[in-house]
Amino acid sequence: MLLTFLATSPTTWSERLSFEIERGLLRYDRWQSLLNGLGVTLQVALGAVLLGVTIGLLLALMRISKFKILKAISATYLSIIRGTPVTLQLLIWWFVVFVPTGLSQLWVAIIAFGVNSGAYVCEIFRGGILAVDKGQTEAGRSLGLSGGKTLGYIVLPQALKNALPSLGNEFIMLIKETSIVGFIGMVDLTRAANMINSRTFAPFVPLISAGILYWGIITILTWLLGSLERRLRKSDNR
Amino acid sequence: MIIVDGLTKSFGNATILNNISQEISDGERLVVIGPSGSGKSTFLRCLNLLEQPTGGRILVDDVDITAKKTDINAIRRKMGMVFQHFNLFPHKTVLGNLTLAPVQTGLMKKDEAEKTAMQLLNRVGLADKADAYPVQLSGGQKQRVAIARSLAMRPRIMLFDEPTSALDPEMVGEVLDVMRDLAKEGMTMVVVTHEMHFARDVGSRVLFMCDGVIAEQGTPQEVFENPQCARLQQFLNSISF
Repeated sequence: MLLTFLATSPTTWSERLSFEIERGLLRYDRWQSLLNGLGVTLQVALGAVLLGVTIGLLLALMRISKFKILKAISATYLSIIRGTPVTLQLLIWWFVVFVPTGLSQLWVAIIAFGVNSGAYVCEIFRGGILAVDKGQTEAGRSLGLSGGKTLGYIVLPQALKNALPSLGNEFIMLIKETSIVGFIGMVDLTRAANMINSRTFAPFVPLISAGILYWGIITILTWLLGSLERRLRKSDNR
Repeated sequence: MIIVDGLTKSFGNATILNNISQEISDGERLVVIGPSGSGKSTFLRCLNLLEQPTGGRILVDDVDITAKKTDINAIRRKMGMVFQHFNLFPHKTVLGNLTLAPVQTGLMKKDEAEKTAMQLLNRVGLADKADAYPVQLSGGQKQRVAIARSLAMRPRIMLFDEPTSALDPEMVGEVLDVMRDLAKEGMTMVVVTHEMHFARDVGSRVLFMCDGVIAEQGTPQEVFENPQCARLQQFLNSISF
């Protein structure tokens, strides 16, 4: 088979490349499956980011609250989620927890990654909150604002600004972490690329294409986060 | 009127305030002096419950603010506080710093709060800085904004916690001037300070605190011209003014 491949394959590298692109991306509209995979990746990542930020904020507030029981719940959550691999968690959600419910893979993946990310986002937020000077809370409270309003209008906006670089890092990691959803039978960008590879026995074009797509998405995200950060830093300019 | 009755504050084994009793009447300008670590800031911070007393009672207009069921936020709206390190909100403009609390506590609508804020900024001479962020201001300007921010809640009592201690010497005057104006208007003030000239000129009564107790008190004249206790004599000799 290798011999026939060599015999029929074009000789120069550019002819070889265009041949592989034709076979790996164009033939049977294979590029379409890569784009579908990218769509799945983005859906899982976006859902998980929203869920993760919500859970993370909630956990962070629980951790800094004065109620021991809330602190304990938050600490236990962090311990379990950070103490086990995310792949295993995904498998447990899919094969154990949600198996009787018939919930779709997309939702299970969003829950798995969101719950996982929440633990890390919690610590990012907590760090951001702790970095806000205690005098800010005192100023807010001394003006007669309630604890909740002081947190919401004074502490959290500053905490979010502190947390943004780490938060962006977490989003970027999350997008790439979703490449394991193939374990529960989803066809995301990574899996789609590998499926083309196993059909054509030509790994180069589909795998590199997938890499370029991941890189492109993350570059756009990095740029968006950067401009958001510049906007939030407006008040730091002398 | 503030009545402090047997106020005690301790952290673990350390007693910071030991059984302090005081009456601060309306319009009084009480100046608290004393060596560092004597408990003067803690005393001031107990008055609006930024520090929780471990013993005793504090009555503000006959309301026991240490009681569990007291709405401390409502009490704090009547008592402005100015901090040594300003504690302006860095993510808000000067105007935003002044309007946040009046709007969020429901005291004023936004446009009314902005009008009041501009009047106050005019008064402290910083109307042109309304759209600036705190980081763009000098220390003296920051502290004047902080005073205006407290005044925006229309308080009846103002607490000052070493308001000029973090300032460069040439900026102390502009802040003290604003405080002098307030005193002239009859604001009830409790001022913890190391500015002895200010204490003598503006104070209606001076407390000398030492080791968690009020070691001596009286009119500025009595305290500065004729100090009785040895600790106060030593304190006054050791500072230059």
